[in-house]
Amino acid sequence: MAAADSPSAGLRRRDLCSRGIRLAGKMRSDVMDLLDTYVEWQGLDASASVAAVEGVPVAAVERWDEQTGTQRLLENLAAYRAFRVLLAQMLEEQQEQLGEADTALGRALAAVLLQVSAFTYHLEELLQLESRGTPSEEVAVPAPPSQLGLFERKLRGLGVLRELAQWAVRSARDLRQLAKPSPGISSAPSPDESP
Amino acid sequence: DSHIQYERVGADVTMKCGSMDWDAAVTWTANGTDIDESHLNGSYLILKNVDLTQSGQYSCYEGSSWHLKYQTYLRVGTPPKEPVLMCRSNNYPKGFYCSWHLPTPTYIPNSFNISVIHGTREMVCEKDVFPKNRCHIRYIQLFSTVKYKVTLTVTNALGKNSTTLTFDEFAIVKPDPPESVVAKPVPNNPRRLEVSWQNPSSWPDPESFPLKFFLRYRPLILDQWQHVELSDGTSHTITDAYAGKEYIIQVAAKDNDIGTWSDWSVAVHATPWTEEPKHLTTEAQITETTRASTSSFMPPPTTKICDKGAVVGSGAVAVCWTAGLVLAAYGVLFI
Repeated sequence: MAAADSPSAGLRRRDLCSRGIRLAGKMRSDVMDLLDTYVEWQGLDASASVAAVEGVPVAAVERWDEQTGTQRLLENLAAYRAFRVLLAQMLEEQQEQLGEADTALGRALAAVLLQVSAFTYHLEELLQLESRGTPSEEVAVPAPPSQLGLFERKLRGLGVLRELAQWAVRSARDLRQLAKPSPGISSAPSPDESP
Repeated sequence: DSHIQYERVGADVTMKCGSMDWDAAVTWTANGTDIDESHLNGSYLILKNVDLTQSGQYSCYEGSSWHLKYQTYLRVGTPPKEPVLMCRSNNYPKGFYCSWHLPTPTYIPNSFNISVIHGTREMVCEKDVFPKNRCHIRYIQLFSTVKYKVTLTVTNALGKNSTTLTFDEFAIVKPDPPESVVAKPVPNNPRRLEVSWQNPSSWPDPESFPLKFFLRYRPLILDQWQHVELSDGTSHTITDAYAGKEYIIQVAAKDNDIGTWSDWSVAVHATPWTEEPKHLTTEAQITETTRASTSSFMPPPTTKICDKGAVVGSGAVAVCWTAGLVLAAYGVLFI
């Protein structure tokens, strides 16, 4: 791990983390706007409860403070790769549904998809820096079940975007943890003490 | 035997003298004072439409022997109204606390039971020693979209009531106000004040969970606040203060990404640096003083004092005129 621990690698990591934090912040802001647009376009109630959606990476995590840097990067990477597929599916459904290539919702979805792709690339760079190599791009995101009605698809989309918004917050936190000086990227930080 | 008896305000209360027959001769006392026979029905004590002042110790004595036959402590009160419940995370991401109170007192002891459910999981809310009506929960999961459901039930001898709060993890995040706010004048700068503060000590990890801040300030003589939002750092220099005017300054904090703003910090007061008055012995010194005096009455660029929307309202025009008159007066004096 000598390369990962060199001063230049440390600077590069902090730089990537800073940029990643800004990307995550912008992404979250845009996803929140997209959520408003989506809810309006799809005629949904913004406070509607959505059950856990199969194939959507869940941001919720236990013992978050005990995760190693590598765990954080790997989980983030897996999540955003899945979101890339899910958003592409939503975009395709949107285009099928409305039959038009260019709608406000379509544009907003495409913009967020672009940011998700950029963030994925960013995470891959960070993992490369840690000499971890990047896991192969095999994302097990099931296609939405064809028997899902239109309303169910809309709710599924709501679930995807909500979870993405959570991930964007989590990613910023993960990258701040990663940017902290530590003896080695693999070492787990000590758990928080009780209040 | 001594008992405690709880009764509602407005209720009619009948007290029996233990196992004494109805027609036994007895004497009742309330807090040691004999009760008039008009309140007795045989050996039963009848209290109609009781009120809070009738709480106390009631004793029944056998007529001739004055043996104590029965004693009870009457507590007059009310069943609980719906409690007021609040939950907040001021130490994110460690956990959150819930606190509660009754909108009106019951005047009798109450017990509180709180349940916290997250999805299918029931969480333990550990009661705080102080304050009493508060408990705290440690987060098991972070970044969850599943809502928390908190139900508080309050029970006393006369009834029970409950309330439920439902919220998500991010919504209740509200830091404590910033601490150690200090405002100082800046030497040789009559329009500046340097303000600094610290993160609230209850916020456990400002490095990973940075706070952003909102500063507000106004001269004491005005009602309208100036606001500045700061995304990082724990200091700020005000550059548009009115020279010589005492300012009141407060700061609030918010997590960079989620939740709501804290309450405002304790207010601090400060007055910008002012030049010491000089003796006007030379023309050059007179000119210098004129320039300094004129600039002190120049409204700062961001001032609201002459704006249409100023809170000062009808007084704003008067202040504008006053400033203009003073400027004109100085101009006339020193031509």
